[in-house]
Amino acid sequence: MSRHPAPEELLLDYAAGALPEGLALAVGLHVALDPAARRAVDRLNALGGALMERESEAAVDETALERMLARLDKIAVEPRPPPFVPRPGFEWAPPPLARYLGPNPHWRRVLGGFEEIRLTMGGDSHRVSLLRLMPGRGLPVHRHAGTEHTVVLQGGYTDETGNFGVGDFTFGPAGEHEPIADPGDPCIALIVLEQPIVLTGPIGRWLNPLVRRDWI
Amino acid sequence: MLSADEAADLIEAIASRQDRAAFAALFRHFAPRVKAFIVRGGADAETAQEVAQEALVMVWRKAASFDRSRASAATWIYTIARNKRIDLLRRSARPIDTEDWLVVYAPEGEEADKSVLAGQTYTRVKELLGGLPADQLVVIQKAFFEDKTHTVIAEELKLPLGTVKSRIRLALGRLREVFEKDEP
Repeated sequence: MSRHPAPEELLLDYAAGALPEGLALAVGLHVALDPAARRAVDRLNALGGALMERESEAAVDETALERMLARLDKIAVEPRPPPFVPRPGFEWAPPPLARYLGPNPHWRRVLGGFEEIRLTMGGDSHRVSLLRLMPGRGLPVHRHAGTEHTVVLQGGYTDETGNFGVGDFTFGPAGEHEPIADPGDPCIALIVLEQPIVLTGPIGRWLNPLVRRDWI
Repeated sequence: MLSADEAADLIEAIASRQDRAAFAALFRHFAPRVKAFIVRGGADAETAQEVAQEALVMVWRKAASFDRSRASAATWIYTIARNKRIDLLRRSARPIDTEDWLVVYAPEGEEADKSVLAGQTYTRVKELLGGLPADQLVVIQKAFFEDKTHTVIAEELKLPLGTVKSRIRLALGRLREVFEKDEP
C-alpha cells in the first residue's frame, strides 16, 4: 500500500469517468504505480459493471443489430496488443502518460532550478506539467489559487508534511510547501494545478460541472 | 439473461473465430444496458444509441484484449462504455485509449491482483449491491452514472451535502470490507 494513497472518493470519480482530463491522468498514473489503488479501481469498475447490469432491460433494436452485423464485415477483430515498451529516456512514464508526451518531448529549464514539460489537455481547466528536480534541489515557494495534485513518477521528495516516493499521490493548497528532492535519481512528478475558477456563482458552477468536484 | 461465464465465452468466441452469432448475443444483452447508462448521464436517446453501438463495435474489435482473469465481461464492457462517454463529453481530438492499458501494462507476478479472481470480484460486488440499503444505492448510482458532483446530488435528493458524502463513504467502506480480508 502506498504511504500516500489517493482518497477513495477520487478513485470513485475516476472509475465513474467523471474527472477532468488532467486529474484523470494524475489518478491514472497513481493507479498504474500503486497495486492497492489498482485493486481499489478494479473493484470500483466491477461496481460500475454491476450497476450497468442492473439497468432495466430495454427493447433491443433489431434493425440496429442487423446494420451492425453488416458493418462488421469491414471491421477486423484486432490481435492482442504487444506488451507496453517504455520509451528510451522516459522509462519512468507509464502508459497513460505516454500518449501525452508527443513526438519529441524535451525538458525546459525554468527559472528557479527545475525543469518542466507542459502537457496539453483538450479543454481542461487545469495546468498539467511534469517537473524534474535534481537531488537536493528545492522548488521555489510559489503561490497560486486552487489545489495542486502531485504524483511522483521517479525518485522522491521530502517536505514538512513527509516523504513522498514513486506512486505516491498528494494534494493540497498550491505552493504552500517547500519540497526538496531526495538523493538518488532526479525527482520527476506530475503536477496538476487547478486554475482559478472563473465561474463561481451558483449558476456558473452548474454550467461548469467538470471544473471542480467536491470529492473531499 | 446472460451469466458472467456465458458472456465471457461469447467474447472469447469473437476473439478466436470472429463469431457473429456470439456478437449478436452480446449486443442483445449489453446494447440496451449501455444505452440506459448513457441516457442516465444526460444524453438524448439518439446519442445514447450511437454510443452503445460504438461501444459494441469496440467489443468486437478489442475482443482479443479481454482477459476473464482480470475483469468480468460486464466490467470490461462498462469500462469501454465509460470511455466512450468520456470521449463524448470531452469531444476530444485525442480519444481515450479504449485499449485497457491495465491489461497491457499490468506488471505480472506482483503480489497484486490475483488474490481475488476477477469473476469473484464481480460476483461479490453484485451481491453487495443487492444488500445495500436503498439510500446508499441511490447515491452510488448517481455518483457513477449521472456524472454529478456531490453538491448537485445533495440538491437533487434534498439532503445536506454531509449526508450525501457520508452515504457514499459508507457504501465505499462496505465495498472495501468485502475484499480487505483477502488482501495482503
